Amino acid sequence: MREIEIDAESKTPREINRDLKTLAEEYDRIIIKNPNAKHYLSAGLTTPVEVIIDGSAGYFAGTMIDQASIKIKGNAGWFAGDNMTQGELIIEGSAGDGVGQGIYGGNVVVKRDAGSRTGEIMKNGTIIIGGNSGFMSGIFMMGGRIIVLGDIAEDAGESIIRGAIYVLGEIKSLGKNAKVVEINEKDKKDLKELLPAYSFDLEDSKYNKFKKIVPRSKRPFYGPESEEG
Amino acid sequence: MCGIAGVVYKDRKLHPVGSDMTKMLDALQHRGPDSAGFSIYGGLGLEDNEYLLNIEIKEKPGILESVKELVKVVSPIKSEEIIPSVENYIIYRCKISLKSFSQLKPLIMNIDRIEGVIVLNGSHSFEMIKDVGYVLDIAKRYDTWSKMGTHAIGHTRFSTESIVDRYHAHPFQSYIIPDITVVHNGQITNYWNIRDPLERKGHIFETNNDTECIVHYVADKLSMGYSLEETLEQSVKDMDGPYSYVVGTPNGVGIAKDQLGLRPGVMAENDDVFAIASEEVSLREVMDTTYVEQISPGEVRVYEI
Repeated sequence: MREIEIDAESKTPREINRDLKTLAEEYDRIIIKNPNAKHYLSAGLTTPVEVIIDGSAGYFAGTMIDQASIKIKGNAGWFAGDNMTQGELIIEGSAGDGVGQGIYGGNVVVKRDAGSRTGEIMKNGTIIIGGNSGFMSGIFMMGGRIIVLGDIAEDAGESIIRGAIYVLGEIKSLGKNAKVVEINEKDKKDLKELLPAYSFDLEDSKYNKFKKIVPRSKRPFYGPESEEG
Repeated sequence: MCGIAGVVYKDRKLHPVGSDMTKMLDALQHRGPDSAGFSIYGGLGLEDNEYLLNIEIKEKPGILESVKELVKVVSPIKSEEIIPSVENYIIYRCKISLKSFSQLKPLIMNIDRIEGVIVLNGSHSFEMIKDVGYVLDIAKRYDTWSKMGTHAIGHTRFSTESIVDRYHAHPFQSYIIPDITVVHNGQITNYWNIRDPLERKGHIFETNNDTECIVHYVADKLSMGYSLEETLEQSVKDMDGPYSYVVGTPNGVGIAKDQLGLRPGVMAENDDVFAIASEEVSLREVMDTTYVEQISPGEVRVYEI
C-alpha cells in the first residue's frame, strides 16, 4: 500500500485537486489533512484510488468521480457525490442538501442525517442515509435506489419516474407520483447484503419494516399510462 | 449567492465577536465579493439616551461641517471619529444624545437630504460596520478585529438586484423599534406584497432592496409583540422565494429559511457558543465541532441571551 498525505491548509481547491490527480497515478491511498470544509474536494477524480478527507468537506465533494473511493471523516456540504459515475463516497458525519444528486452509478453513504433533495435526478447507483433524509428526497429520481434508515421528510419521492426509495423510519408525506408498496424478498436480500457492508448492522426483524417508495406512473406528465414505454 | 453568519456567546459577557465574525465572513468570502458588513452587539457601552451615527460623506469642502451643524440642532456631539474609506468618501461617526428613540429616524432623514451624504445607520446597542470590497480589507479599515461584544451577525454580498455601494451592503436596519438588523441570502419574490402593507402602516422604505423589506417586516412584527421566533415562523409563511436570512436584535440572533430550502443554512452550538452560517467552513472559525445541523426548509432557529 503506497500512501501519501496532502496538507490542504494553505492550498486552494484547484491546487488540491491538481495534486490529487497527479498523486493518484502513483499512490493507492491519499489522505487530505486540514480540509476545513473546502469546496470541490476530489472533483473529477477518475482514478481507482482511495482518498481520505480527514475532516469536513464543503460543496460538491467528490463531484463527477469515476472509480475513486472517497471517505470524508467529517461532514459534507451541498451536492456531495454530484453526478458520479462509478466508485464510492462515504461520509462519516452528516451531508447537506442534494447528496448524490444526479448520480449515474456507484455508492454514496452518509452515516448520519442528510439535508433536502437527496438523490435529486439520480439515474442509477445507490445512496444510503444512516439517519434522516430531508424534504423532497428522491425528487425527479430516474433510477437507482435510496435507502433511508431514519425518517424521510415531506414530499418523499416528489415526481419520481424510476427507481425506489427504501425507508425504515417514518415517511412524513409522499410527493406527487409516489406511492408506497411492500418490499419483496429480493429487496430484503439485497438490503441484507448491502447494509452490513457499510457497518449498518440491523436486527433481522428490521428488514421486514422497510417501506418502499416507487413511482405511480412512468409517464406522469406526458401521457396516459397506456402509453408507458 | 451571498454569505450570512451569526454568533452568540451564551454567557452574555463580552467576547471578541468582531474577530470571530471577521473570520467567519472571511471564510464565506467566496460567496460574495462586492461588500461585507457586521452588526456587533453589546459592546458599545452607551448611556440610555445615547446613539452612534454612522455617516457616509463625500470628500468635498463644507459637507462635513453641514452634517455637524444639522446634528447639533438636536444633540450635542459627544465624541466623533473619521474613518477613511474608498472612492473619495469618508465615514463620519459621532456619538449623540436624544430625548427619545423616536427622534432618531427624523434626524437621519434630515441628514440624508444633504447632497453627498447618506446615514448608514444609527444605533444604541450595536455597532454597524459595512463597506464595499473584501472582508479583510474592511476589517483592516475599521479594525473589526478588536471589537468586543456579546453577539454579532455578518454578511458577504454577491449583488443581484440592487446597486453595489455602502448603503446597500448588509446589514440593513429598521427604525420601527431600536437596533434590529438583517443580513440575507436570496430573493423575496413577493416583495411588493410584503412591502405594501408595511408602507400603509407608515413605515418608510429607503430602497427597493428586499433585505430592507425583511428588516422592516421583522421589526414591525416585533413591535406588535411577536417573539423573535414567532416573527421568523410567520415570515416563512408570508414570504415567497429562495432565501435564508439572519436577524440580529439586542437580545440575540435568529435564522429563517424558505419553505423549499433553496438557500443554505447550518448551525452548531456547544456550551459556550451558538453559531449559524451559510456553510460549515464559517462555523469552524468559532467552534471545533463535528456535529453540524442543516437548517431544514421552512425552519427557524433562535438564540436569545
